[in-house]
Amino acid sequence: MQYRIGVDIGGTFTDIVLYDETGQTSISKVASTPDDPGKAVITGIVDMLAQRDIAPAQVSEIAHGTTVGSNTILQKKGAVTGLITTRGFRDVLEIGRIRTPDMFDLTWEKPVQLVPRRFRKEVVERLSAHGEIVVPLDKSSLQTAVRELLAQGCEALAICFLNSYANPVHEVMARDLIEKEFPSLLVTASCDVLPEMKEYERTSTTVVNAYLLTEMRAYLTKLEAELTSRGFSAPLLIVNSAGGMMGLDAAKSRPVFAVGSGPAGGVIGAARLGQATDLGTVIAFDMGGTTAKASIIDKGVPMLINEYEFRDGITSPSRFTKGGGYMLKVPAIDIAEVGAGGGSIAWIDAGGMLQVGPVSAGADPGPAAYDLGNDKPTVTDANICLGFIGETGLAGGSLTVNRALAEQAVRIHVAEPLGLTVTQAALGIRRIANVNMARAIRSVTVERGLDPREMTLMAFGGGGSMHAADVALLLDIRKIVIPTMSGVFCSVGMLAADVEHSLVKATVGPIDGWHAGTLKAPLDQLEADMRQRLKEEGFGPDRIELSFGADLRYMEQSSELTIPVDRQVLVDEGGQALHAPFQAAYETVYGYSDESPVELVNLRVTGRGLRDQKLDFRALSGGSHAGEIQHSEKRQVCFSSADIWLDTAILPRHHVLESALDGPAILVSYDTTIVVPPAARATTDGCGSVLLDISQMIEGSGQ
Amino acid sequence: MKTDPITFAVIKNALDSIVDEVAYTVLRTARSEIVKDVMDYSAAICDAQGNMIAQAKTIALHLGAVPEAMAAIRQEFGEDLHEGDAIVLNDPYQGGMHLPDIFMFTPIFLDGLLEAFSVVICHHTDVGGRVPGSNASDSTEIYQEGLRIPILKYYDKGVLNHTLHKIIERNVRVPDRVLGDLKAQQAACHVGAREMGKLISKYGRDTAHHYFNELLDYAERMAREDIRTWPDGTYTFTDYIDDDGFNDAPLPITVSITVDDDHLIVDYEGSAPQVPAALNATKSYTNSCTYLSVRCILNGDIPNNEGIFRCIEVRAPEASILNPVMPGACAARALTGYRVMDAMLGALAKILPDRVPAAGEGGNTVIAIGGYRPDRTPFIIVDMICGCWGGRPDRDGVDAITNPSQNLSNTPVEVLERQHPIRIEDYALIPDSCGAGQFRGGLGVRRSYRLLAPEAGLQLRSDRTKFAPYGLAEGQDGRMTFNWLVDQDGIQSTLPGKVTMPLKRNQVVIHEQAGAGGYGPALSRDVESVLKDILDEKITPGYARKWHGVVLTPDADDIDRDATVKLRESMVPRSGGAL
Repeated sequence: MQYRIGVDIGGTFTDIVLYDETGQTSISKVASTPDDPGKAVITGIVDMLAQRDIAPAQVSEIAHGTTVGSNTILQKKGAVTGLITTRGFRDVLEIGRIRTPDMFDLTWEKPVQLVPRRFRKEVVERLSAHGEIVVPLDKSSLQTAVRELLAQGCEALAICFLNSYANPVHEVMARDLIEKEFPSLLVTASCDVLPEMKEYERTSTTVVNAYLLTEMRAYLTKLEAELTSRGFSAPLLIVNSAGGMMGLDAAKSRPVFAVGSGPAGGVIGAARLGQATDLGTVIAFDMGGTTAKASIIDKGVPMLINEYEFRDGITSPSRFTKGGGYMLKVPAIDIAEVGAGGGSIAWIDAGGMLQVGPVSAGADPGPAAYDLGNDKPTVTDANICLGFIGETGLAGGSLTVNRALAEQAVRIHVAEPLGLTVTQAALGIRRIANVNMARAIRSVTVERGLDPREMTLMAFGGGGSMHAADVALLLDIRKIVIPTMSGVFCSVGMLAADVEHSLVKATVGPIDGWHAGTLKAPLDQLEADMRQRLKEEGFGPDRIELSFGADLRYMEQSSELTIPVDRQVLVDEGGQALHAPFQAAYETVYGYSDESPVELVNLRVTGRGLRDQKLDFRALSGGSHAGEIQHSEKRQVCFSSADIWLDTAILPRHHVLESALDGPAILVSYDTTIVVPPAARATTDGCGSVLLDISQMIEGSGQ
Repeated sequence: MKTDPITFAVIKNALDSIVDEVAYTVLRTARSEIVKDVMDYSAAICDAQGNMIAQAKTIALHLGAVPEAMAAIRQEFGEDLHEGDAIVLNDPYQGGMHLPDIFMFTPIFLDGLLEAFSVVICHHTDVGGRVPGSNASDSTEIYQEGLRIPILKYYDKGVLNHTLHKIIERNVRVPDRVLGDLKAQQAACHVGAREMGKLISKYGRDTAHHYFNELLDYAERMAREDIRTWPDGTYTFTDYIDDDGFNDAPLPITVSITVDDDHLIVDYEGSAPQVPAALNATKSYTNSCTYLSVRCILNGDIPNNEGIFRCIEVRAPEASILNPVMPGACAARALTGYRVMDAMLGALAKILPDRVPAAGEGGNTVIAIGGYRPDRTPFIIVDMICGCWGGRPDRDGVDAITNPSQNLSNTPVEVLERQHPIRIEDYALIPDSCGAGQFRGGLGVRRSYRLLAPEAGLQLRSDRTKFAPYGLAEGQDGRMTFNWLVDQDGIQSTLPGKVTMPLKRNQVVIHEQAGAGGYGPALSRDVESVLKDILDEKITPGYARKWHGVVLTPDADDIDRDATVKLRESMVPRSGGAL
């Protein structure tokens, strides 16, 4: 028997999912080890296999989503990094795009520079905007700069020259020279990471890549060695920010593509499950302890963005908050994140308004009810006050809950100051958290002109299934899916992903100028590079799938829309083939289109290496787990109105697999608590999901 | 109607998210660098009475000008507003600010009743007039500044006003960009209308309007609660604009803030009279700058609406630079606004010394270069250079950052070079330009432009070439602004702060913007911070010695602590900045 393993490291738990050839799965949650995150991975996997008497050699693949990239940036423990740039442009990285994330805040500070000014050196060279050499690269100025950086203690170097997107010649010369003459340095040239226009975005992305090289390499090399020494021979694959898998070597040399590795697994799982069950457009909704995340999946394809700002855990839902983080111009799943999760703290502002988050009690000290040192009310405390969470607690009973402490926290900090009862206050906290989380969903739907009412909400993560129905109600979403193993769904998702890479090539010019045949050369180049990359990861031609895209805009705009293209049509017909699809896409997004000339900016290719034994949601069967309740019980729960407490059945999750269930009810499993409100109906889909239909709730709320 | 705190929060967030969506639509669909890259535009939602109830995180300074424009529209059209209307204006003497800023308002109807307005204001690349970019500081009458658009319907019940459209098209230098950006404004207004319609029908109009009013009251309440804690009295401060570009006389901006319990009276008596240059700021703009200055130092996360205006009364003498009369020119009024803000903050520092930073760069510099390529196609670069923040009571200022009144971005060098016959020679921080202090000011920035076309017109608007950004609490002033022209033969000459002149191929224009003022005595600065700045080459060892009394070891890589103590003891405290 062969096995595959998915591992996701979270703030509190490291989740492991084991999946065998027959579709049988089992899951395990072990305490994370933040100082050495690989430790929990190894012990978790080894223990799980030992319990089931599986030999390491039987494992055919290990898929891993890692927060090492994001944590390296957040904790500022990356390489001592130097930057080599064009004379006159030493400060491009620090000047940035000069905006601030908020208005009226005179206390604001820029994010700490990953490469301080002392490590940024200029060399003599200059290219024109069209790639002609204006000043040839002066090698001696380069050597001097590198020697200085070495003497200053640099471990990694980023190279980014002005206009190099139009011609990489000087960057390639510089990179080769440094690798040859200074082999101890790790080097990233911008042309190897992001050959696109806009110097700040390109420099920042290149710098972050260089900054991550040491930590990511050390982590992955160690993990690989530990696995090998324990008899594992299976390849280790890393989830990238766009939800594809990348091989170990790619992750080591281009770690910037894996900064968003952590949350991507869940989204890709949601995509595959949605595809398997024909859900149409899905909103993946992942609620954790500190934040809630939302992203859109259209016909099985997650919505991707080509740039984002990485910042400290919490993003404002506004899409204008430029300047608050590190600009990364790499493909990533478009995830909107708000500071509202189970641990978010409720408080009252100077104007007397009830607020929830963004400050979180996290996992430690956690909610007031955990009695671990926090006395402020959190969203989880509100859920305890309302009866959604019983005193037997969470994670199969491994965390105990003190309801009196939760009530005290809500009373002192919210109920009394606002003149409300504890129940009213707890409902208020829950409702504001729901509204904030709905805002994340709004920002990926209505703010893009998409109507959430026609979509399915797929809720997972620690608290997703507890809030799903209420969040859906706010947006008039009728259909909710709580997937199998929803509490460890990120790990599940990785097993369902393909190996995936993307490459981009700048091809700036009006589409009319790209005559038939002229796009063949750049497309050939992209295809050859992509095939080479996948070949290196062990995929033969028959297991490679390529899809091409074009970034287009009206002449003189700065933002592009990426549309999928047919390679052959594009070669045969030239740029003209792009006009109609662009007009249609533009009309859909912005509500108008016009007769202005259309410009092609980039061509893209996404290459997938098809894995042999991908997780198939249709063939899944789960085992039972220690700590799950087996019998139903009753509890008083307050769902929506402070004076109505309902006698509510608390049932094991598998109950709903046997027959449809009308709310009110609460379904409990090892990893998840599912709230089924009154007037909601729970059914199942044959893939182990619980489906909630809240149409009656929506009609009942008078809309 | 009773106010439910939860519904209140829901509606507030919904409005924020709608107005951001409006603004985002502009960004994604605009055609000109000044809108899509520099982000010189703003978006707001007004209620049916015209009160601004939400503003996107865009140009803060447009905030206070909306009420006046809205009043002018109501006066012009009364009840003659219909679904599908899009009203435009740009005349400073009828609700506008300066001609390049074209306002667009669309009324939002539900079941035939007027419920709200979408508002989008964009700075357009050109609106005609004597100088490319329509932004010259040396115009003497508004008639030179470009096309004045009275309050007109650009769309009337959904039908394009072809007359107006053609007049705009004929009178601007780059009609594709201007009309393209107008289209972006309209698309964005449409998004606002669609989303507001949904919100209001969801809650019902009575409930929705009740909460809109509550939001205004809430902002007012938060502002008044804070102001009540300020010491009563009258506090005066004067800052200066270098000159009007025609003669050397400095232009004072004098403000007296009277704190009276929970409201403020802000009086600009003593400021310069109206000037025969384009620096005149309309009263609505003066109001804006005043509100914004107060808003920046109020505590708490107050919603972006006009509730806070209610506790601030602004007075400016008629026919002054802060309240001009026809036909005063206004194009470069932004500069005057920056100085209003500097003067306001200087006065506020006397009231709240622990909240107010020293002066920043003094406002963005505008460099417009326009001409024709060898194939006779026109080009116009309107580039804005920002900026730095002054030292703050508990931390350093910020290097290379937007003026807080704006939240502008910058145009990428690669975008500029790709689209225009220009080469940017450098874009960099200027070492030693910061005002010294316990908390230093931000460094100024330098940007240099080499013309690659045969010839072009240059219009440069900068300031702080004579009056440096002030320091506070004994902090030093920042370094002043400098402009140079380098000829084809390499000879460098000084340019004045404000200039309109021809430019030839291969000439280089260099702008070095002022650095920000410092906060607190420079000799009190922590030596480790001094060392860090030296190692980062943000200050030189000479500067460290002169201002901070810090001496380096012979290798210049660490501090000579004994020598530093001695030197610091020997230095008498230097005289401070403006306070």
